[in-house]
Amino acid sequence: MSYWKPICLLILPAAALAISAGQQPSVGSSKGAARNAPGQVVHITLPGIPGEVLPGPGVQVYSNNCLICHSARYVNMQPNFTREVWEKEVRKMVVAYGAMISDADQRRIVEYLVAVRGVPGSK
Amino acid sequence: MDTLPRRRFVASLASSAGAIVARRAFGAGFGISSAPEATSLSDEASRTLARYPQKTDLILLTDRPPQLETPLRYFRTDLTPNDAFFVRWHLSGIPTTVDVQSFRLEVNGRVSKPLSLSLSDLQSKFEPVSVVALAQCAGNSRTLFEPRVPGGQWGNGAMGNARWTGVRLKDVLDAAGVLAGAVQAGFRGLDVPPQPKTPAFEKSLQLDHARDGEVMIAYEMNGEPLPMLNGFPVRLIVPGWYATYWVKALSSITVLDQPLKTFWMDTAYRIPDNSGANEEPQHLSSATVPINRMPVHSIFVQPGSGEQLRVGQRYELAGVATDGGSGIRRVETSNDGGQTWSDATLGPDLGKYSWRRWQADWTPVTKGKYRLMVRASSASGETQPTTQWNRSGYQRDIIEHLDVVVS
Repeated sequence: MSYWKPICLLILPAAALAISAGQQPSVGSSKGAARNAPGQVVHITLPGIPGEVLPGPGVQVYSNNCLICHSARYVNMQPNFTREVWEKEVRKMVVAYGAMISDADQRRIVEYLVAVRGVPGSK
Repeated sequence: MDTLPRRRFVASLASSAGAIVARRAFGAGFGISSAPEATSLSDEASRTLARYPQKTDLILLTDRPPQLETPLRYFRTDLTPNDAFFVRWHLSGIPTTVDVQSFRLEVNGRVSKPLSLSLSDLQSKFEPVSVVALAQCAGNSRTLFEPRVPGGQWGNGAMGNARWTGVRLKDVLDAAGVLAGAVQAGFRGLDVPPQPKTPAFEKSLQLDHARDGEVMIAYEMNGEPLPMLNGFPVRLIVPGWYATYWVKALSSITVLDQPLKTFWMDTAYRIPDNSGANEEPQHLSSATVPINRMPVHSIFVQPGSGEQLRVGQRYELAGVATDGGSGIRRVETSNDGGQTWSDATLGPDLGKYSWRRWQADWTPVTKGKYRLMVRASSASGETQPTTQWNRSGYQRDIIEHLDVVVS
C-alpha cells in the first residue's frame, strides 16, 4: 500500500540514518528518536534475524506455506500441544487469516507441528 | 531487504552482564535503601534478546512481525523508557518509513466534515493533553496459565507505563461532526496484511467511549516522538483498556452506523462473558465478549523466579500493581503462601490510569523454601481471584506467587 514513497530514501535525516545503521539510544532516554520537523522522513531498518527453522518431517511444506506471513519463531516459542490444538491452529491460519494452503499441505503441516511441538505420547 | 551494513543483533545476554545491570538498577526505589543483590535468575538469562531500531535489548518472542518483551528490571521506574517498551505487531507488513509531511490521519464515515489531518494539524489545531497510562497486551503473562495455551508466549513484560501526550479523540470527532445514528468508531493503522485475504488489523470502540474525553490520539510518549515500533507517528490511547485497542501508526478513523464486523473484534481478542474471564478446558464458554477494561493485578519484579536468597539478609520485594482506571488502593504481600499478609509500601501515584509500584521489606530468618505472594486491590474495591483460566490466555489477574529458596 501507499506509505512507501521512493523519495523518502533521498531525504533521510541524520537521526534516522543513525538508527538504520544500528546505533542505539541509551537506556532510560529516547535520544536518537527523530523530531517531528516538517518534511522529515523517519525510517527504520529491521534487523535481519536468523530464521531458526526447526528440523522435522515436512519442514519444506511448512516453510513454503507458513513462513510467507510470519517467521518460524511463531512456532518455536510455543510449548508442546496436542494434535487437536495444532489442527485448530492450522485451520485458523486458513479460515481466519486467509492463508492459501491446500488440504494436503495442511495435513503435512500438522504432522510437522506435532513432530516439533507435540505432546509426547499423544497421537 | 536493506543494503546497509549491520551488525548481528541477536545475542543471548550472559548472566554476568545481566547481573551487573540489575545491580545498578536495584534500590532505585522510593524511600527504602538498597539491599543485597541475590544471585539472579532473571527473565533475560534464559531467553534470546534482540535489539531493534530505536529500542534496547528486549526479549525476542518473534522477529517477523516483531513481538518484543520488556525485561522486568525496567519495571523499577514509574515510567518505562521508550526504548525498553514492549512491542507487539500482528501483521508482517509493519510500517518502517513514515513521511511526516505527507502522513495523514483520515477521519471519515458518518461525519458531516471528513478530515485529513497532518501531524502538524494534530499538534497545532487541538488542545494538547497528557495522561500517564499503562499499556498492557491482552495476553500479558500468558505463559503462566495452566494448562498452557497457544499464542504469544509472554512472561510479565508485555506491558509498560508511559506519559502520553496528544489530543482528545473527542475533539477530533467533534471537529469532524459526528452524524446522528453513529454507534461506533473504527480504527486502522499503517500496517498491511501479508495476504490478500488476511483481515487488516482494525478495532472499534463504542461511540460514547470514543467521545469520553479520555481516549486520545498520542504523538508523544514520555516527552518524545513514539518509536516506530510503538506506533509512530500517532497511536490511539485507550486509558484503562487493553492495548489491543491502542491502534499503532493510526491512519484512519471511520465513524460507523453499525458495529464493526471484523475478525479482530468478532473472533480474536474475546474473553468468556463472565466477570473473571474464566472457563474450563473441558467446558469452554459459549458466550464471549470483546476483551475490554483491565482488572486489578499485581506482579513481582524482584526477586526473580528461582532466586537463591540468604538467611538473615534483608531483601526488598518489589513489583507493580495495575488496574483499569480506578487506581491502586492497597498492595499486600505474603511470605508464607498466603496464610498471613502485610501491607506493602506504595510508590508515587501518577494518576488513576498509571500502574503503581510497590515495595516490601523481608528478612528470612530460617532456611527453607518460601512461597511469596502479592495481591492488590483497587480504589473501586476490586480484588484479585485465586484461580483463573481461559483458552486464549487473556486478562491474567490471578494472585501471583513466587517460589524462592533461602539457604
